[in-house]
Amino acid sequence: MSTTVITKTEIQNELMEFLCRQFLVETEDIDITKSLVDTGIIDSMGLIEIASYISKKYEFKVEEQHMNRDNFGSVIKIVDFIYRVKTS
Amino acid sequence: MEANKRCIKCILSDKFPKIKFDEHGVCNFCNNELIYSTDAEQINKSVSEITKLFDDFRGKSDYDAIVCYSGGKDSTYTLKLAVEKYNLKVLSFTLDNGFISPVAFENINRVTNKLGIDHITYKPSYDFMKGLYRMSSLESLYNPSSLTRISANCNSCISIVNITALKYALEKEVPFILAGFTLGQIPANTIYYKNNYKFFEESRRPVIEKMKNKLGKNVSTYLEISDSLLSKSPNYPYNINLLCVEDITENEIIEQILPLGWKKPKDVDGCSTNCKLNAFNNFVHFKRYGYSPYELELSHLIRKKLLSREEAIEKLYDQPQDQINNAMLELKVDPAHILPFN
Repeated sequence: MSTTVITKTEIQNELMEFLCRQFLVETEDIDITKSLVDTGIIDSMGLIEIASYISKKYEFKVEEQHMNRDNFGSVIKIVDFIYRVKTS
Repeated sequence: MEANKRCIKCILSDKFPKIKFDEHGVCNFCNNELIYSTDAEQINKSVSEITKLFDDFRGKSDYDAIVCYSGGKDSTYTLKLAVEKYNLKVLSFTLDNGFISPVAFENINRVTNKLGIDHITYKPSYDFMKGLYRMSSLESLYNPSSLTRISANCNSCISIVNITALKYALEKEVPFILAGFTLGQIPANTIYYKNNYKFFEESRRPVIEKMKNKLGKNVSTYLEISDSLLSKSPNYPYNINLLCVEDITENEIIEQILPLGWKKPKDVDGCSTNCKLNAFNNFVHFKRYGYSPYELELSHLIRKKLLSREEAIEKLYDQPQDQINNAMLELKVDPAHILPFN
């Protein structure tokens, strides 16, 4: 049986593709260190869409206690959150 | 609403964000190059999850669901589904924004009587609502990326609807809030979700602060929830959009709700069945962004074969000038002050 190891780079590339397609923006519009809300890429419904994407793509439920700025405050934070859950 | 160019399959215009056309005049949305998740997968998943949620929570509170009821065709059908298909005990709620068609109010009375359900109408101060609409029309209150499916005025109004419904749900410990949004109005991955106020509050704060600066502390009354209410109610309700999992045309919806006494108002535009302000809202959106806020929703219905392209075009262009003029007069908005977004 083989084990697939996911890297942060892969997660980030997949997330950026999702963001560009879903929210109709270009890669260069997204500052990965800043909040997607503060920079106007998404609104509160966008947070739901990202949570739903994560659940489906990475096959784990985003629980209520996960829904905070520490996990969703930027692309980097979202990537770290996914990586942490997937490798724990 | 005239556009230089529209997709030959749907009605998306050349001003719509990220639009591209192939050599045949078909847009990249129709060619499935955008919007990540496919509806079919998401809908199938949502149907089973929603059914399970209803089964888990039905009968545990005085009401199973708060239904946001505008009196329009979609929310009327949502109400019918909640009561008759899902067997929920509902409390319907209408936000009187000061611009609801009298026929829509008659519909609300007839339908709630016929279904035998409890109903609340909440009317914020008319002056506040007019100030909010004026601000939403003339200032860049929201980021343009959040307005691809909705006008700024509708967004402001629906924010009050959402917050008021959430307050009722928290006060009465109601596990569900139901609304009549269709796919196209909302993305497929938001058909149901837990309404985590604290999480969303952060993202809404910049807009709320702008509103408070202009409209004063009343903003808090209509668009925020007190810590005391939040601490009293440990569980957030689920928001569910039942209509998104139904494959039904507009004509079929109307057929279903006519026996409840529903009648089509004549004093609204082609895209609304309850609000006399909608034509003005669309006019503002077109002036600011160059496209109609209904293009995405109507195009989605065309792709799902629930609406013909001709019907969609007819709705899009049915924007009576007298309704736009009346709204501008009432809100004291000078059209010369509605500037294109840049």
